[in-house]
Amino acid sequence: MTIQRIAILLLLTFGQVQGANAVFMDLQSGSLMGMVHASVGGTFADNHHVSAGVGYVPKLDNHEEMSMVSLRYRYQNPYQFNFSVKDRDFGISPVNFGMAVLVGSHKDLFVELPDKYPSGYYNPTAIRLIFNYQSILHLSEKTEVYFDISVLDVGLISYVREPEFFMDNYDYLGLEGITNWGFGMRHQF
Amino acid sequence: MKNIFFLLFAVLLAGCEYEISPWQTDAHCPGVSVEENLAKLAAFEQSIGKVDFYQVAIIGDPQQYPGSFENTIEHVNTLDDVHFVLLVGDLAETGIKAEFEWMCKAMSKSNKPIISVIGNHDSLSFGKDIWLDVFGPYDFAFTYQDSRFVAYNDNKYEFDNVPDRDWLAEQAAPVDGQEWDHVIGVSHIPPWEADVGFDTHLKDSGYELTLHGHESSFDYWQWEDDLLPHYITTQNRDPGFGILSVYPGVLELDDCSRDCEKTIPRTVPKPKSLLLLVEEEEQD
Repeated sequence: MTIQRIAILLLLTFGQVQGANAVFMDLQSGSLMGMVHASVGGTFADNHHVSAGVGYVPKLDNHEEMSMVSLRYRYQNPYQFNFSVKDRDFGISPVNFGMAVLVGSHKDLFVELPDKYPSGYYNPTAIRLIFNYQSILHLSEKTEVYFDISVLDVGLISYVREPEFFMDNYDYLGLEGITNWGFGMRHQF
Repeated sequence: MKNIFFLLFAVLLAGCEYEISPWQTDAHCPGVSVEENLAKLAAFEQSIGKVDFYQVAIIGDPQQYPGSFENTIEHVNTLDDVHFVLLVGDLAETGIKAEFEWMCKAMSKSNKPIISVIGNHDSLSFGKDIWLDVFGPYDFAFTYQDSRFVAYNDNKYEFDNVPDRDWLAEQAAPVDGQEWDHVIGVSHIPPWEADVGFDTHLKDSGYELTLHGHESSFDYWQWEDDLLPHYITTQNRDPGFGILSVYPGVLELDDCSRDCEKTIPRTVPKPKSLLLLVEEEEQD
């Protein structure tokens, strides 16, 4: 497993955070990123956010115990609408898109092809690309919660390749067949 | 703008599932298990009684193309002589839950029993667990119209000690002295060159034909030393499948897209290195 390489990648990311406009910590659940996924990142040029994180799934009936690491990018459009509830101000940022590289760590997954296989026999099974949309509710200037809707790499490819199959078999333009949801919280320092 | 956002958000949220990771194993695949489909086939056989002719569709490697797979299934639905479908593996590309669920959705369109055999790609990630839960055993055998079909796991890189030669011989053996009309092996990968003596073992055990996928194109060949025929169906693309026609004492094969054409076996020599290995083994 190339955990060392991943660790270097994470360190480089954390190093870049020093040049960021703001540093944030993110805690997420679901949306393919783990039962819990903690990330640290920075905001660049106002609308661009980069973070690196570590996720974990305990042993469950439908999941092996597993840790995972991620590197994520998110574009947050500056459009925001504000509202008040009982004299408290809130804001919603509705247009946020991102992607993540997720690397699972488990003996049944691999980044580098095990020696028993001929060269090039499989692509890595531990590395997945995840594309996501977020809707962010700003609770205060520094704290926000969000809903995350994600699509796995193979889901996006299959949908683009054969949209009729998904539209015929799943609701909401076929997106029901490829999307997942999760939620999270971010705090800026 | 606010209203559009809330509508979009509500629609997307209503259609999603809460998924912890890409590697969950609880695939939602009702009605595709080997057990359920063999029960359907047995009920169908009982309803029609003994027949002199029937066909079997052989579909392989639909991975990453659930729409093409669905089209093939809907085409096969129109073929009245096809009594059941053999799905010879690689439903998934990377062995994850979502890939299996898309294929299961396509399989739900079939009006014929589909008997599935595990492929090497199905075994990746946590696909082995998903397979056991959704489809059932890796090795199994069944009898239809007095012919014996033996499905076996030969994904050597992903499993230890496969294929199980003793089990394969047991499944092909006559029961209570009754000979089978035909004995047909079914697996994902054609016999491996490196599996010394396996082909001859199948032949000596009574197999007269084996059916496979994996190679992504139609093929039909036999090694010249034992002449056991092996048929390989193409990767499934809109539509692409094989047809096995079964008569008393006769088997025929066709490569099909919309139309079908007869296949002709090629007789091929085993690689020289393998022949040398066999000779060395015999000398020992």
